[in-house]
Amino acid sequence: MEEYAREPCPWRIVDDCGGAFTMGVIGGGVFQAIKGFRNAPVGIRHRLRGSANAVRIRAPQIGGSFAVWGGLFSTIDCGLVRLRGKEDPWNSITSGALTGAVLAARSGPLAMVGSAMMGGILLALIEGVGILLTRYTAQQFRNAPPFLEDPSQLPPKDGTPAPGYPSYQQYH
Amino acid sequence: MICTFLRAVQYTEKLHRSSAKRLLLPYIVLNKACLKTEPSLRCGLQYQKKTLRPRCILGVTQKTIWTQGPSPRKAKEDGSKQVSVHRSQRGGTAVPTSQKEAGRDFTYLIVVLFGISITGGLFYTIFKELFSSSSPSKIYGRALEKCRSHPEVIGVFGESVKGYGEVTRRGRRQHVRFTEYVKDGLKHTCVKFYIEGSEPGKQGTVYAQVKENPGSGEYDFRYIFVEIESYPRRTIIIEDNRSQDD
Repeated sequence: MEEYAREPCPWRIVDDCGGAFTMGVIGGGVFQAIKGFRNAPVGIRHRLRGSANAVRIRAPQIGGSFAVWGGLFSTIDCGLVRLRGKEDPWNSITSGALTGAVLAARSGPLAMVGSAMMGGILLALIEGVGILLTRYTAQQFRNAPPFLEDPSQLPPKDGTPAPGYPSYQQYH
Repeated sequence: MICTFLRAVQYTEKLHRSSAKRLLLPYIVLNKACLKTEPSLRCGLQYQKKTLRPRCILGVTQKTIWTQGPSPRKAKEDGSKQVSVHRSQRGGTAVPTSQKEAGRDFTYLIVVLFGISITGGLFYTIFKELFSSSSPSKIYGRALEKCRSHPEVIGVFGESVKGYGEVTRRGRRQHVRFTEYVKDGLKHTCVKFYIEGSEPGKQGTVYAQVKENPGSGEYDFRYIFVEIESYPRRTIIIEDNRSQDD
């Protein structure tokens, strides 16, 4: 399939940025609607107008900051993947920490360290959730302990004739 | 807070004189001031006045804004005084409130413990995954290092070999496929991941198996081999320690 043969990395940045923006707009929209509703004067028309106003003003801002976070995180993640040459959970945690640090850069080094720690811990928790989910959903499909025999691609152990699997006997 | 707002309105009015639109500012402020003090007839009357001649109303609104300035604060103070008196009166009936508070504290405690346990579980998972030497990520890392330093692999794939796991729907390829089972009382783990090099079009699958060493508790490789996706299929065996099986 062509889409799976494609390298995910540079395109993943755009993907993540857009996804984060959508999340921010929708989530921020809901929160700001409720907040605007509550802070408006009595009367349903005032409240609805206040709610719509709050959403109109604040939801794109929240979406924008989420998008910046997501895009920066994905960029650093792809950069680390390219640098290290392998993909594993350490990349995500380091990217989260670096994103937190960069986004707090205006507030000085101490704030950067604190923000980096928060970003790293948040990403570690998210990775933990991801790992748990993958393990437990994969376990559902596992039934009996598989292949107690050695794989057929390896030559036989002591030179005795190989078991009956036909294909891919290699000699090298 | 209202006074400063009203003062700002006054200044803006002095700056921009005659325009019907500027009327909206005092109108809105007056609205707010009205509704915050008492929704009384006075506000209703001023509503009606607005629809008539606009010029006169500017003077009227100025006066009414100033007169209404201090009163919102006073009303709030009286309100708070009333609340504090009320509270001290209620303090006499001690037993029901403390029971309710105890119940509430208990609920909060339960929620906090629940949150801490979930967070602790997640941290434990992530530490086990990243730092324990028996985790699939570590096995994958060690196997990848061995692949990278093997001359035949470098010859086929090129210098920089990169490894990745299964493709998830978001496109991130972090999950390395693995299987664990116990055979002869020892834990075995099989890991499968993919590698790619700088040579275009060459992709390979790496199968590695690790067996627990009963003496040291460490995990040793039982075999590692790379299967190259080309036609005919080629297999490079990096390590084969099956002869060391007892």
